[in-house]
This record gives sequence, structure tokens and C-alpha cells, in this order.
Amino acid sequence: MIRWLVWFLASSGAAIACEATGQRMSTETQNAPAVHVAVDEIPLAQPFSILLTVCGETAVSEMRVDAVMPAHQHGMNYLPVVTAIGDDVFRIDDMLFHMPGKWELQVDVEYNGQTVSYTSDLALK
Amino acid sequence: MKLWVTVAFVALTSVVRAEVLLSEDEIQQTLSFGPWPPPIQPDPSNRGSNDPRAIALGAALFDDPVLSIDGALACASCHNPEQAFTTLDPRAFGRVLLDRNTPSLRNLAGLRWYGWGGKSDNLWAASLHPIIEEQEMAHSKESLKRAISESPYVNDFEDIFGDIESQNPELVLVKIAKALSAYLETLVTERTQFDDFRDALERSDLAEAANYPEAAQRGLQLFLGRGNCAFCHNGPRFSNNEFHDAGVPYFLSKTKVDEGRFGGLNFLLSSPYTLDGDWTDDLEKQGAWAVRNVRRSHSDFGIFRTPSLRGVVETAPYMHDGSLDALDAVVRHYSEIDTERLHADGEAVLSELNLTGQEITDLVAFLETLSSATRP
Repeated sequence: MIRWLVWFLASSGAAIACEATGQRMSTETQNAPAVHVAVDEIPLAQPFSILLTVCGETAVSEMRVDAVMPAHQHGMNYLPVVTAIGDDVFRIDDMLFHMPGKWELQVDVEYNGQTVSYTSDLALK
Repeated sequence: MKLWVTVAFVALTSVVRAEVLLSEDEIQQTLSFGPWPPPIQPDPSNRGSNDPRAIALGAALFDDPVLSIDGALACASCHNPEQAFTTLDPRAFGRVLLDRNTPSLRNLAGLRWYGWGGKSDNLWAASLHPIIEEQEMAHSKESLKRAISESPYVNDFEDIFGDIESQNPELVLVKIAKALSAYLETLVTERTQFDDFRDALERSDLAEAANYPEAAQRGLQLFLGRGNCAFCHNGPRFSNNEFHDAGVPYFLSKTKVDEGRFGGLNFLLSSPYTLDGDWTDDLEKQGAWAVRNVRRSHSDFGIFRTPSLRGVVETAPYMHDGSLDALDAVVRHYSEIDTERLHADGEAVLSELNLTGQEITDLVAFLETLSSATRP
């Protein structure tokens, strides 16, 4: 699946240990920085935003965000917009889940040229 | 006397026996289909939205053939107000036989996409395109300005939008479309038996909710569950307003296909009349995120926008090509769907349901309660 790629300046230096809120995302990469996702109630078939917090000492140079519905083999119909709003906090806008059910949030974070993939399940009734 | 006692006993028994069949989870899902009607929210991209003068002008123009180049067609010719703003024809007939079924024009305010292929992201653009489409009203911008200038509507137009002679023809076209849009926003289906049921559930008034027919309740349970209908037909309008493969053939002939969303996106992304364009009245360009961020995919080919199910009894025939003449035919289509017809790399939502005759009857009974009118 094509994923939208967002670049931003990591001018504010390395991400540091942080007080994250929300659910910790899963990753298969050993010793990877923790990523937490905070999301309010998700409206069905309407745009919504989430917050991602990266807890680590390595600067984030790139982030890709997507979501898929594994049971239905499809993703979102819109490209989410990623905005860095702090050293370690990113707001993801224009997410839209157009069907109820289980969605898998997929986040790829690049640290020093190495990409770490994270996933998290989000349920929408 | 004995007879009356018997009748009273039978009636009492039926009242006692009537019940709400839905589980707590199904009740929660049912609440998401309302409340109805939705609150009125003016369209910020259209200054005429919610303006009584623009609404009145739009209503008058809708019924008048002045909007066609030769006075042969009015909007109402195809979107007949007496037939739920559509016609009984499987495919629309403008100047020629068109490729798709005429969509009803009710409950259109505030949608993200318009048309079977979603070629417009706002209602005034969706109102504008048929006026200048060669196979429909066939006006040019210039001929439309001339026709309005010479029509009885010129004073109303100028009261709302200013002197017409000083405006370029494209601006006049957009303003006429915005007046039409202001009128169309007011077309809302009435409350239904389903809405009474849904609201009773919200109030936890199960005695009132139990008045909803059991066949319709069983149909609703199928709609929410095994039928998989609510994946796409969700929210108060019973539509997620996105695009799906319903397994209906999109070949128009041996050599021509209906491109569906693929063609709609091609049109949209080259149109100047989007929420991200210069013709919107909304400086903040709310809603433009969708046209900016919409994704393209080869599986867009031959997929179509999920139609609303409100008032569905009144809008036969069904599907993008009007190929199914009745609601039970639609339910049978999904029950017996040929999954070979679905995009091989598309979404995996539909599968053969093998519904029984009773289940088909129940689903239709439910769908009929989404209309205030009865089946014609």
C-alpha cells in the first residue's frame, strides 16, 4: 500500500524521555523508543485527529502514518497529515475510518536512518 | 359481549407479546443511525446557503427550463419532485440516454462527495455541472448569463447577487448553482417509523420501542450483523458517503466501461469548482482537506458512492445503473452475490449470504421503515 510520507525538520534536537499519554504501540524491534498514541472518541466516517508521542533519546527524522482494516483488506481513503507540535509530540490530522470494526494503526518512525514500525489496534463501533 | 372480551384478550396478548428483540450491543449500534433530522448547518462555501431569497430563487429555477440551452429540460425533468426527486427510469435520460440512474436529491446538505462517482466535493458544484454538461442542460456560461438576464428571475438574482451585467459569465454560473444548492439543502426526508423506534430506544422506552414491527427488528438485526450492510450504510443517512464495489457490472457495452470513482476523481482533481478552489465563499476553506488528501487507487475503477437508504422505498430502481427494480431484488443481489465480479484486489467485505426467504422479507421490512411513504 502506498503510504504518505512526511518530512519535517528535526531541528529541535533529540527526543527525550517523556510523560506520554495514551496507549503504547507495539513493535517487534528490540530496545526501540516507545511510541504512544492518544485518541479521543473516533467518529465513524468523519475526520479525526490523534496524537503520537515518541519517548526516546534519538531524534525522529521522518514519520509515516497509515491505518488498515485487516479483516477487509483495505486502508483509509485519505492521506493523513503529520505535524510536529513539539520535540516528541506529533499531531496526525485527517484520519478517517469509513467502516466500523477493528482498524490497525501503522506508524513508521525513522531514527538516524533506521526505520522502526509500530502498530496499535483501534476499535470503532 | 363475549366477542368483545375475546377481542380485548387477543389485543392484550399481542401487546404483551410485542418486545424489543435487539441485544444491548445492537441497540447501541441502532442509536448511531440518528437522531433525525440532523441539525441545519449552513454551507460556508456558499453565501446563499440558508438565505430565504436564494432558496426561493433556487426553487423557482429548479422547475424552470430556462436552465437548459433550448428550454427543453428543467432540473425537475429528471429529478421529479413527485417521484422523490428522481424518476422511475433505470438510467437517466437527458438529451441522450445517460450511463447512470438518476440519484434522488434529498438529504444532500453537508456531504463530503456528490454523484455516483464523487466528481464534486460540494453541492453547488454538483448543481453546476449538469447546467453546462452537453448531454444534459447544455448551456455555455455565456448563454446561461444571457438566459438569466432575459428571464423573469433577473431582479431576484440581482437582489441577492448584485448587478448581473457587470459580472462575468462564469461568476453568474456559479451564483446560479449556489442558489440551486441553497434550495437543495432544504430537501430533507421526513421522520420515519424507524426514527420513532430509534428515539424510543434512546429514551429506554422499551414499551414504545416494542411497537416497531418484529419483522423490521429481525431485518435490522441482519442489517447490523450477518448482512454486513452497516459497514457501508451507516450514520444517520445510512451511508458512509464513500465508494465501494457492490458487484454490479460496470461494462456499458463490449467496449465501454463506467469508470465510477476513478473517473470521478479525474474530474474532481481538474475542476476549478472544489472547496479548495477560488469559487468557494469560505476563506478558511473548511472541508477542502478531502480533495487535498484523497487517495487514488486502481481499485477506484468501477466503484460507486454508497447511496443513502433514507426514503429508499420511493427511489426505485436501484444501484448506479438502475439495474435492480425492487428492494427485494437488491437484497437477493447481495445474498447471492457473485464474488468473482468483485475487484480481486479490492476490499473483502461482501460474500454470499444465502439468506432464506424469510430473512429477505425481514430485511425488506426493515428497509421499508426508513421511508415515511409506503411502497408505491
